[in-house]
Amino acid sequence: MKKILEKLKKIDRRIIYLVVFLSIIIPILPGFDFLIFPVAPTKETKAIFDEIEILNEGDAVFIDWAFDPSSKAELLPMFEAFFKHCMKKKVKVFIYYATINGINLGKESVKKITATEEFSWCREGIHYINMEYVPIAADIRIFNMDVDFKGTYKKEGKIFEGVETLRDIDYMIGLSGSAYHFTHVDMQIRFNYKFGIAVTGVMGPDFVPYLQTGQLTGMANGLRGAAEYERLVSDKYEKNYYGSATKGMSSLTFSHLVIFGFVIVGNIVYYMDKRKRG
Amino acid sequence: MKKEIPILLGLITGILWYGEFFIAGMFQENQKLFFSNGFKIAGVVGVAVGVYSVARQNYYKIKYNNERYYAILRVSMIFLMIFLGIASGTSSGTPFSSMFMNVYVPFQATVFSLLAFYIASAAYRSFKAKSVESAVLLIASIIVMLSKIPLGGEICSQIPVVGEWIMDSPSSAGKRAIIFGGYLGSITMMIRIFFGLERSHLSE
Repeated sequence: MKKILEKLKKIDRRIIYLVVFLSIIIPILPGFDFLIFPVAPTKETKAIFDEIEILNEGDAVFIDWAFDPSSKAELLPMFEAFFKHCMKKKVKVFIYYATINGINLGKESVKKITATEEFSWCREGIHYINMEYVPIAADIRIFNMDVDFKGTYKKEGKIFEGVETLRDIDYMIGLSGSAYHFTHVDMQIRFNYKFGIAVTGVMGPDFVPYLQTGQLTGMANGLRGAAEYERLVSDKYEKNYYGSATKGMSSLTFSHLVIFGFVIVGNIVYYMDKRKRG
Repeated sequence: MKKEIPILLGLITGILWYGEFFIAGMFQENQKLFFSNGFKIAGVVGVAVGVYSVARQNYYKIKYNNERYYAILRVSMIFLMIFLGIASGTSSGTPFSSMFMNVYVPFQATVFSLLAFYIASAAYRSFKAKSVESAVLLIASIIVMLSKIPLGGEICSQIPVVGEWIMDSPSSAGKRAIIFGGYLGSITMMIRIFFGLERSHLSE
């Protein structure tokens, strides 16, 4: 017993890393689909879905992409599920990049989706548009201007018909891994847009107060939020469809359980050691 | 005058910037455009300073053989990306885009994912119930953690309910207090800068 205690106390961190690695990698290997657990949608995620559901064909949705590849695992699946949902509803999608490192990632994701047979009818400039980047957080000031998007971005296209300023946007969603979208919440007072948010798991608690006040219509929190959104889209449009977030949830589940196990073992070792020392 | 002019500039800019939130109109739009262009110019100058600084630092590393090969790799990658961007643009399908998607994206995602390993190691070594407060924190975090995974509800149907309550009530109350504190601090600082009482940004 004493030996085990000593070993556990001085456990090599590489063993911990290996266990975590295996808990993440095994569930996403081919043949382990039975480890995919159904995720029940929360009311916060469903609220975003419902906002898109009530839109009509031709309404305008604004996606504020404020994340870079470091948050890709959590936020890219949400973007993909949301964009697909918008395209299924045939609403116009404006994608703006608030971070320079997100532009290529976003454009490639849109290209990948529109290359599929189901969305091959989507045309840039008509059904969606990749708007460009304005540096150093100047973007929100640009959008708040009462000048038109076309004038600001020198973009031509049918998509801008009837959509000239931020006031003409029917729904806005922000995707970020930081507190960046606090500004957008504040600006609602002036421009009265509906605003939802998809953030990394660690940022979720920061936005809960805004959800409670109704300033945010909904929130997809982390990979789980994305998996919930995938399920909502799947239940409504594509039966038995699972995206990368749903698959990733099995990894998330097992890695959480492993960390949970380490915390328990760590505490047991601590108390046994404490008792031994008196 | 070295101090008075920056203070005066700060006061005028602050009033204009603050006033735009409440006042609409062409003057406000034009001044916003002026400042936004100013941001862009500052950003471009910042990039130039950054590239110079990195090049200079790595030049000395190469010269004095201080991690020479890493420095060569770092500098050559920076200039390779600049060259690819200038030569063929940055749009989809270009060499720049390929390098970005196949090198930069996996690298950045990998670095961020390392957090999971550090958290697991830190949780094992440091997350101990050493006092009543830390025990409460430990229990709350375990409940929230379990409530975030689909298995949490399977283990006990009350786990998601309690997890949601923790997030919506105690955690949200704390966050709200932090937000209030932060905004009050910002307003105070803004007023101090407006009137020239706060001069730390002028190297005082």
